[in-house]
Amino acid sequence: MKPRRPLHPFLFLAPTALVLGLFFFWPLAIVLKNSFYRWDLLTPPEYVGLSNYALLLSSGELVGTVVRTLSYSVVVVAVSLALGLGLAVALDRPGRLYAFVRGAVFSAYVVSWVAVALLWMWILDADGGLLSTLLRKLGLPVVSWLGDPRVALFALAGVSIWKITGYSMVIFLAGLQDIPRSLHEAAALDGAGPLQRFRHVTWPMLRPSAAFVGTTSLILSFQAFDVVRVMTQGGPVKSTTVFVYAIYEHVFVNLRVGRASALTVVFFVFLLLLTALQLWAWRLGTARTGRA
Amino acid sequence: MSDRISRRDAMVRLASSFAAAAAAGAGCGRRTGGAGEASLWFAYGGNNREVLLSLVDRFHAEQGLHRIHAVYQGDYFEALAKLRTAIAARAAPALTHVVGEVVPYLERAGVLSALDVFGKERRFDIVPELGQERGFVGGADRPLVALPFNRSTPIAYYNREIFEKLGLGPPKTWTELVETSRAATVRAADGSIARYGFACPVDWWFWVALVGQAGGTVIEADGTPSLGGEAGVRALALWQRLVHEERTMKPPPGRDYNAWQATNTDFLAGRVAMIWTSTAFLRYLEKNARFPVVAAPLPADVRRSVPTGGTMFVMPRGVPEREQEAAFSFLQWMMEPRQANEWATRTGYMPVSRPGLRALEESGFYREHPNDRVAIDQLADAFAWPWAPALFRIQREAVQPRLEEAVLGRRDARETLEEARRAAREP
Repeated sequence: MKPRRPLHPFLFLAPTALVLGLFFFWPLAIVLKNSFYRWDLLTPPEYVGLSNYALLLSSGELVGTVVRTLSYSVVVVAVSLALGLGLAVALDRPGRLYAFVRGAVFSAYVVSWVAVALLWMWILDADGGLLSTLLRKLGLPVVSWLGDPRVALFALAGVSIWKITGYSMVIFLAGLQDIPRSLHEAAALDGAGPLQRFRHVTWPMLRPSAAFVGTTSLILSFQAFDVVRVMTQGGPVKSTTVFVYAIYEHVFVNLRVGRASALTVVFFVFLLLLTALQLWAWRLGTARTGRA
Repeated sequence: MSDRISRRDAMVRLASSFAAAAAAGAGCGRRTGGAGEASLWFAYGGNNREVLLSLVDRFHAEQGLHRIHAVYQGDYFEALAKLRTAIAARAAPALTHVVGEVVPYLERAGVLSALDVFGKERRFDIVPELGQERGFVGGADRPLVALPFNRSTPIAYYNREIFEKLGLGPPKTWTELVETSRAATVRAADGSIARYGFACPVDWWFWVALVGQAGGTVIEADGTPSLGGEAGVRALALWQRLVHEERTMKPPPGRDYNAWQATNTDFLAGRVAMIWTSTAFLRYLEKNARFPVVAAPLPADVRRSVPTGGTMFVMPRGVPEREQEAAFSFLQWMMEPRQANEWATRTGYMPVSRPGLRALEESGFYREHPNDRVAIDQLADAFAWPWAPALFRIQREAVQPRLEEAVLGRRDARETLEEARRAAREP
């Protein structure tokens, strides 16, 4: 379709371009510039070239932060995806009880992160917490969920899974309800059992939903901050210092805007690569499905 | 009038509503700059917040010229983060309070108003160890930028019921600390700990106290961050021994004030027999404990030594003159013996006014409240902080995370402090 006037498409694009430029590209350019300076917000910035990046690499901080963030994200995305899918398949039935359970599972998603974090701090408290009390009653050993550097990150991942599984479940439910009943009936007439029907009918039809949930959960898990800030403040022994929290610590605790900016740039590139990889995998999957 | 609105009218109405919203927004963001009004950013919750707000109310009741808008900004470190951002954005409050360690940095950055214009420190007749001039090495050579507000020292609190039952007394040396903690620890049949003898946040402030007791200092007179040298290692090794070998000290989970709160909660719940924390929690612990709480000075190693803590009032620069006047009027009023004493006696912090302190002595307050006496007596062993702009960064970036690594992660104390020294020397 040809526009009546050549400027029209640009005019329509202008508001979005303005918002994106002002609130995304411009701050990003400032962050990139700041990453080449040593600056504490209050005294004049000093140009240091690439030394912020070099220090992040040589101190091992960058590698440590990437490993922690990836470990956290992999657990959160994989488990919430699997649980969401399982719950969606189990609860995709009519009836009040199912509706109530669906609502209950989803309700965690609408509660604020801070409230969720406070609730779980009480549950995971090593001395008087609900989980520890239960474990003691069962004669099982009690773990300091938030105080042990080996388990704290996974305890936080567990809290995030509890919160976002409802979201995956709802997306999968919508995907399930879009699958024509006739496909299942035809497969059943051909002698396919429930597992085969899931593998050859349900799952291929749910792939777009899975890709969407996977991408959004990944981005959400990479942005984890509130839960870390409230529950562990990055500790113990930096074991829960994930990317966004590390950036916050550099700016607001260590007074290092330059190093935080360098970390932000790396974070941005990392997310960009990860999203591209995921989209590539999704397209590859779609193309294969199309050929089949 | 037609019910239908033309497109042009609709656009005009929409534009008007945007303009009205923008004007309202601008009004909301306006600084408090009316006649004698000033913002006070504060960083307390609970009882301390109530006491401060009641003092602000009394200030308003006693005079009609100035008004103070007290705004809560989270804990010390959250409030400091907001203050730095506000200073950079030229939207700083007229008055706030910051931890002592950050004052030299803010002064060097040139973002604090000199209070000299209102008079020298001696004009306020404050307890010298708690002010800028004596509280910092070289503090008297710098322009006066800070006045003491809630000042404290770390002290020991113990559960008298447990101590009396076991025939224990407050430890006076590190050796006694190890023995007392061992004696007060209760182990269950399966080897788990039912009650710890001792707990203390793995925090810079308490480590600095230990370094001082072991005969060291964290920053030398020439500004070198020695982190106590051998004394620093001994201090860290003591914690490691108590946590891992003796298993008599509970390192509380969480960081900063979460860890401090966890220490208090464990003590109040009887899960710990003795803790080290700030004088700031004196009233809170006395009020909430179901057992008699007794305060004691920290033990000595080769000497007695404690840091001072808490915060100091500062007035950021770039604030309109009328706001500064209101802020200073309140500041001056808070330095008066009556207010300084009310703040101290209702919270547990130390009285910062010298005549106020004398009045409390003479009135017999300390005979009735011997726990309050402990921090005052300990002032004799308080050391002055170095006037080092890097002090705060050394604390937060170089030392604090590594203390956790050494104590919770069982890293070699000497190697950890060597790494911390390298980090402290980074520009």
